[in-house]
Amino acid sequence: MEARNPARTATVAQVQQMSHSRIPHLPAREQCAQTWAQSLARPRPGTGLARGLPGNAVCKAPPAPPRRSPAGSLTQLQVPSRSARPCSLGFAKGKGVGTNMAEDSRGGPTCSWMGDSQDPVPGSGGYNFPEYEIPEVNTRAFHVGTIGELWRGRLRGAEDLSLKEPRAPELPGCPGDAASDPGDAAVARDLDCSLEKAAELRAVCSLDKLKCLEEGEDPEAIPEDTELVTLGIRKRFLEHREETITIDRACRQETFAYEMESHAIGKKPENPANMIEEGELILSVNILYPVIFHKHKEHKPYQTMLVLGTQKLTELRDSICCVSDLQIGGEFSNSPDQAPEHISKDLYKSAFFYFEGTFLHDKRYPECRDLSSTIIEWSESHDRGYGKFQTARMEDFTFNDLHIKLGFPYLYCHQGDCEHVVVITDIRLVHHDDCLDRTLYPLLIKKHWLWTRKCFVCKMYTARWVTNNDSFAPQDPCFFCDVCFRMLHYDSEGNKLGEFLAYPYVDPGTFN
Amino acid sequence: MAMGTPPGLQTDCEVLLSRFQETNSVGFEGFAELWRSMKFATVFSGKMRNLEKNTFTKEALALAWRYFLPPYTFHIRVGGLYLLYGFYNTQLCQPKQKIRVALRDWDEVLKFQQDLINAQHFDAAYIFRKLRQEKAFHFTAMPKLLSYRMKKKIQRTEVTEEFKDTSDRVMKLITSDVLEEMLNVHDHYQKMKRKILADNSLQEKAISLIKDDFFDTIKNIVLEHQQWQEDRKNPPLKPKDGEETREERSQETERCERAESLAKIKSKAFSFVVQASKSRRHRQVKLDSSDSDSASNPGQTQAAKKKRSRQTLKSAGKKAPSRNKGHERSTRKEEKSLRLSMPVIKEEEENGSCSEQEFTVPKRRRRY
Repeated sequence: MEARNPARTATVAQVQQMSHSRIPHLPAREQCAQTWAQSLARPRPGTGLARGLPGNAVCKAPPAPPRRSPAGSLTQLQVPSRSARPCSLGFAKGKGVGTNMAEDSRGGPTCSWMGDSQDPVPGSGGYNFPEYEIPEVNTRAFHVGTIGELWRGRLRGAEDLSLKEPRAPELPGCPGDAASDPGDAAVARDLDCSLEKAAELRAVCSLDKLKCLEEGEDPEAIPEDTELVTLGIRKRFLEHREETITIDRACRQETFAYEMESHAIGKKPENPANMIEEGELILSVNILYPVIFHKHKEHKPYQTMLVLGTQKLTELRDSICCVSDLQIGGEFSNSPDQAPEHISKDLYKSAFFYFEGTFLHDKRYPECRDLSSTIIEWSESHDRGYGKFQTARMEDFTFNDLHIKLGFPYLYCHQGDCEHVVVITDIRLVHHDDCLDRTLYPLLIKKHWLWTRKCFVCKMYTARWVTNNDSFAPQDPCFFCDVCFRMLHYDSEGNKLGEFLAYPYVDPGTFN
Repeated sequence: MAMGTPPGLQTDCEVLLSRFQETNSVGFEGFAELWRSMKFATVFSGKMRNLEKNTFTKEALALAWRYFLPPYTFHIRVGGLYLLYGFYNTQLCQPKQKIRVALRDWDEVLKFQQDLINAQHFDAAYIFRKLRQEKAFHFTAMPKLLSYRMKKKIQRTEVTEEFKDTSDRVMKLITSDVLEEMLNVHDHYQKMKRKILADNSLQEKAISLIKDDFFDTIKNIVLEHQQWQEDRKNPPLKPKDGEETREERSQETERCERAESLAKIKSKAFSFVVQASKSRRHRQVKLDSSDSDSASNPGQTQAAKKKRSRQTLKSAGKKAPSRNKGHERSTRKEEKSLRLSMPVIKEEEENGSCSEQEFTVPKRRRRY
């Protein structure tokens, strides 16, 4: 065996050289000789060879944290034998909801997130990474809170999670200090290089290496001799506009949209207790409008809200502005001055969310009913191919507790029959540039601009009344603003003239 | 507001990256020089209003991010990192648009960072560290926002062929760890055998079931493969002599040369047919000329040419042995009825280096 050693050493070195030659200029690593016995004793990441050799005991054991059941924190609702693993995720309980989980006494049948409709944790290597179910369209179901956990676990110790403003990396006005900078020591430590090298790197990679314009040149002007295709296209576009004398200004919709997107950026709360903690998750939720106009059949209009992982579902529910909440029932042609006593929002308080086989009802008020019972009965009456639906209380759950698919349509239903499709589009960690005031969440960042119906008479004001069977009106139904309505239908004493039916009207564009 | 990748931006990025790839260095200086020469920061100019600026910048960062992840080659990935750095710092949005990184990609990113440090590519490692320090990243669940818009044509992100790292299949399987283990196993086996022989004095022939030098052979095969990969990559790209020559050359002539070299390679590959081994002597391969395809229309666009060459080689490609399992070497010879790009090892002779430098395109066909 001894004679073979030099040859073998050379072989091993050659092998290592070969595999590392893809990465250029690599200094030679030390050789790590392992015996067969050693490799047996220690489970190693699977190799093709290890699997193929007969009778070997090396098994594929990627270093994975203990596998979590997809139910996460909700396992306590299950029959105890189901989940052997204690769940150590304190975050998932949300604030102030913790004790509710264990009690089954409230709210109907126990909520099961581990229902058969779930597709638990495919993940690569045992992690609960969200993966595409339909590529580029939506993911498989996963636990929201886990995403936060996984990220926080990976970023712990580094500065990435912090919400403090980062130290300005390049302090302007001290060129003379090129030789020394306190950051250099940290660089040298992290990159395992010398202090001089760190200083050199700072110079070589500085931002002015990226400057493409001279001093005084307008950054918005397209250079004449550009070779960039992008600019060529943009230039042609601008030139075309000049030729056709098209004035390109921001219309109010664009200004409105931009304002919505950016109005809350960087806001800090006055009361520090309202500051969002680092590591918090922000979900971006699209809520589609229930209006069904023909022109919307390709792209349904929607509004986008940002919501925190630790917020309850009820908070989102309360912040959804839907015009059907403001409807006033009743015919008021005889008493137009009688201020409507109740808007629908006050009268019909029931609502539910539907996520992954579970209906989550708002049970905060005694008059809230279970709107989904009809659906559940329907589904169970025959074998319709849907799994068993569950019900739960909306106020018991935060977004961190949910199992959802990203990009998949779910439902929000209120007022009995006003249904909104809800899509969760994104989940990410909070960043110091975000709005950090938790009282502002759920935060509306995108809203569809709906054209309001104007009064038929003046064509200026938004309609507030709609009439049927109206002898004064040229069409049925006809819309009027308040002033025109009274002028047309009532005399100066307020007596009703003619025959008509009048209903208060709330335009969907009211929230613009 | 869904924009999709802005028109022309991908072309520009790929021009920059391919020029960067041709400089044989991964240092930031080289990249910065190219960046300045192309005045790349001006992609943001043109008086875009706020909303459009935001969307454009987001798309630009998403585009650059793609080049930072596998399956691109190491060089391109470093270029992608520099491109991200460039876009992030020269954008005109206030506050800056961030770079989205999804959970499933983060481990790969960290591994890349570690590779950079180990290989002492300090520029790239420093720049990544700097981006992280500047909080340039948004840590997300998925790379893109998913809103269930049923677009008629879902934009498929295509991987640019030239930048793709093609060596992976074989190298991933036969890594240095694997080979070391093989060697260990082999040694151990030999030791055990000798022990048994010493004890029982069985005929050595009776338990001579393997080739004693199979490890060396495997190693040589893999080394050759790697060498072939290297050589295949380098000849089509002319080595850089000086800055001026490279910049003067236009895209069209590059394509012509490429098409011609492809055609040449193809005709060379298909003109030679190997002798099948003795056990399959009744199934010798006959050469069928397919001259219609070779060296025709060099003026055709690159994409069309590649597609055609892919199609014509499809039948050949299917017969290529797709796996190089070391200990199942014997099965390989069954698949070698048609001579393809890999060097052939006949069972009877132990020639470790019949390396013909013939390459064809089938390898490139594989999409990951």
